[in-house]
Amino acid sequence: MIVDPSEFITFGDWFPAAAWSYAKIVLILLSLGLATCYAFAVVRHGPTEAIYIISRAVTGFFSRDGARISPRRVFALAHLAVKESLRRRVLVVFGVFVLVMLFAGWMLDVENDHPARLYLGFVLTMSNYLVLALAMFLSAFSLPNDIKDRTIYTIATKPVRPLELFWGRVLGFITVGTLLLMVMGLVSGIFVYRGLHHSHQVEATSAQLDPDTNLNQHNGETSRDSHHRHDFFVDENTTAGGKTLGTTSPIVREHRHPVVLQEDGSMEIGGPQGSLQARVPIYGTLVFRNREGQEEEVGLNVGKEWTYRSYIEGNTLGAAVWTFSNISPDNFPDGLMLEMDIRVFRTSKGQIEEQIPGEIILRNPSPTADADPARRQCMPIPFRATEFAASEVFVGLDQLKFQDNSGQLKKLDLFDDLVDENGQLEVWIRCRQRAQFFGMAQADVYLKATPNSFWVNFGKCYLGLWMQMVLVVLFGVFFSTFLTGIVALKATLATIVLGMFSGFLADIQTGEITGGGPLESLYRITTQQEADDQGADDVYMRVMIWASDLLPNYPEFNTVRKVAYGYDINRHILMRHAMITFGYFLVLSVMGYFVLRTREFAA
Amino acid sequence: MDTPKTVDLEQQDSSSHVDGQEEAPEPTGDGKGEVIIETRSLTKVYRDFWGRSKVRAVKALDMQVRRGEIFGLLGPNGSGKSTTIKLLLGLLFPTSGKALVFDKEATDVSKNERIGYLPEESYLYKFLNAEETLDFYGRLFNISAAERRSRTRQLIDLIGMDWAKKRQLKEYSKGMTRRIGLAQALINDPELILLDEPTTGLDPIGTREMKELIIKLRDQGKTILMCSHLLADVQDVCDRIAILHQGELKELGRVDDLLTVQDVTQIQARGLNAEAEEEIRKVIERHQGEVVSLENPTSTLEDLFHDVVGETSGSTVQEDD
Repeated sequence: MIVDPSEFITFGDWFPAAAWSYAKIVLILLSLGLATCYAFAVVRHGPTEAIYIISRAVTGFFSRDGARISPRRVFALAHLAVKESLRRRVLVVFGVFVLVMLFAGWMLDVENDHPARLYLGFVLTMSNYLVLALAMFLSAFSLPNDIKDRTIYTIATKPVRPLELFWGRVLGFITVGTLLLMVMGLVSGIFVYRGLHHSHQVEATSAQLDPDTNLNQHNGETSRDSHHRHDFFVDENTTAGGKTLGTTSPIVREHRHPVVLQEDGSMEIGGPQGSLQARVPIYGTLVFRNREGQEEEVGLNVGKEWTYRSYIEGNTLGAAVWTFSNISPDNFPDGLMLEMDIRVFRTSKGQIEEQIPGEIILRNPSPTADADPARRQCMPIPFRATEFAASEVFVGLDQLKFQDNSGQLKKLDLFDDLVDENGQLEVWIRCRQRAQFFGMAQADVYLKATPNSFWVNFGKCYLGLWMQMVLVVLFGVFFSTFLTGIVALKATLATIVLGMFSGFLADIQTGEITGGGPLESLYRITTQQEADDQGADDVYMRVMIWASDLLPNYPEFNTVRKVAYGYDINRHILMRHAMITFGYFLVLSVMGYFVLRTREFAA
Repeated sequence: MDTPKTVDLEQQDSSSHVDGQEEAPEPTGDGKGEVIIETRSLTKVYRDFWGRSKVRAVKALDMQVRRGEIFGLLGPNGSGKSTTIKLLLGLLFPTSGKALVFDKEATDVSKNERIGYLPEESYLYKFLNAEETLDFYGRLFNISAAERRSRTRQLIDLIGMDWAKKRQLKEYSKGMTRRIGLAQALINDPELILLDEPTTGLDPIGTREMKELIIKLRDQGKTILMCSHLLADVQDVCDRIAILHQGELKELGRVDDLLTVQDVTQIQARGLNAEAEEEIRKVIERHQGEVVSLENPTSTLEDLFHDVVGETSGSTVQEDD
């Protein structure tokens, strides 16, 4: 799975820099806003009176309006917004959702090798788009409709502060969106569970006695259900009924089934395991070693345009080196579970179905001066790159060995020998086959901690969608304070589009992606020319990028892929998203206040 | 908390008071009480998108409304009545001059705690019913739930809408909506009530009840500013009036004073025969007076309607249309 580099940053590391940037932007916006208002006031009232007016407006925010916010009024307006939403047939959206769910089973690919990704991606994406569209329509039209129908007269002539008017709308629409998301989440959960849960029967078995262990070994096959079947090969290491003998293998469609010995001696296949999971990856930092063994920031470029992954050459000193922190007996009492998603670039075809061999070496990054140099790293642990699918390698504590000076293999202690004083450990990965290359990115190799509950993770994903919805409502209500309904809707849509493509715009500006703005595009279309420099659109592009920098990066809030791929959404990401949402809430509330404060409702 | 004290409209007298407000003095109606509303050279110019002057709706308006009086803004359509009220409510901002309500700028939201406003048309949320409407506006005044319930009950009784209180406003006739609009204007037991065309859409009985209610509110010590182009309504209830035309104040004063024709004397008598009438005519001529008319007076159509409908139904009609 592609992981954004920002995910490796903890909340503690992110917050100070983000807060400083936020403060600077707020200060600039505030200065610009005050200067603009002052200029208008000077034109109408003269320079001295303008100072008085501006200072009174600013102090009024704190003393007159801000200090007299009444939760009862805010809740009353929120309640009204909820009723208004229901009147505007908001339940139709839910109806559409349920209708699509009812027939989704017909459309989804039943033969897909990643059914969990398919089901989860489908339900979460649909929930996301439906709720965002709903939030956009509700928030953009509400206040303009009140102004058009003049119902605002009976509100604005009550002691309702502008901030209460703003917050009341926002809270009301957030309530509607929240309720809808909760019901959608419930329906989605049921849909996913029902879609993925299945069972098999034991269809054929044969048993033979293993002379080494003196245990019966059962080799069998399950029935074909849900468009697939499993094989199993388990030892009968117990005679107690209800005990699990093992699991089916290999992993088919991202899951296995337990094979359970029944009271009557027969075997039964349990429910699927591993299809819905929330792996907790512990990421490390990555550096590369080139074919001469020298350190590099990135590996080889094998000619792919997409530079997310770098490559190391097989059968050379080239290696990808991860450094993991907080390695302690408390965190990893039984050993290290490594999960790897390694890509392969082949320069010779060979046996195309044969997996390319590699090796893992655990190494102490900074051993103490008196440590035995021979004990600094373990003997290579072989593995084969599975390509396009994550594979697990468990490194048990008793599995680590080193070769002493006499050439004898001796045991190593993970924590005493390979982990340094700072709790850090290096994991080296090499490709063993000549003329083949391993491709890796920072998130492709990680340590697995105890997995979290899938359903909690599912809820966290909905929390991310909820925060997106909150942002859309905030922008929708803000634009509706000074624009007509349809224009507010377009403006809100523009913020979403710009926010969605901010990364793309930045890539165009930095030249990472070739392309230009409207002028260059027009020139190229009419002249059939190839890409030129985008000097003509430079100002336009700068404005667009500046605007998109100010807007929320919506894709960042979308954690659908993480859930679909079975990765836990960590608390740092959630806290960062919550803080960003709160930041926009504050700024847009203040801006909304001043717009409503200076707006003539009867004009 | 800025919760106004609940006062029973049916029982309230002029000595009642609201939290944080001084005791209401006797209604004066003479233009000499405490100033509640004041405009100083109040001007409003409507501009187009480019800031160019389009219409000068109110021109340098100077007037005062005092506590306990019913003040009428009179004028033809487009004379600036509604604009003046909107300026006083803070729905519009003055282009120049000042609009003060309770000695505060009209744009100060806190003044609204003591104001009730009935718009020209009842701009209410049609998907709420009468009870929900009053409860909603009560919440905007930060009134506690128990008090809101009590006041809602009283006001629904007052406007005679108990039978339709559970129906959504979209099912209401214009007159019914008007009544509920008045009820929402009174939910906070306001000191100052602004009524924009209060009798529009009401049938003659509803009109009379509205006028009686306005007078009753005045008698309870409330100040009322109403605007109307129905001259009879203004004449019936207002203590003082201002006549606006094309945004300018043309006349301001007590209704009685403005309407009194100083050089004409009217005598009304009952039971005179033709000889007696002839003798009165001669007396007038002997004193160098001119007899303008000597005839039997006619009743008004409104009085006739009330006599007929009142005899037939004997009670208030419940629905207007």
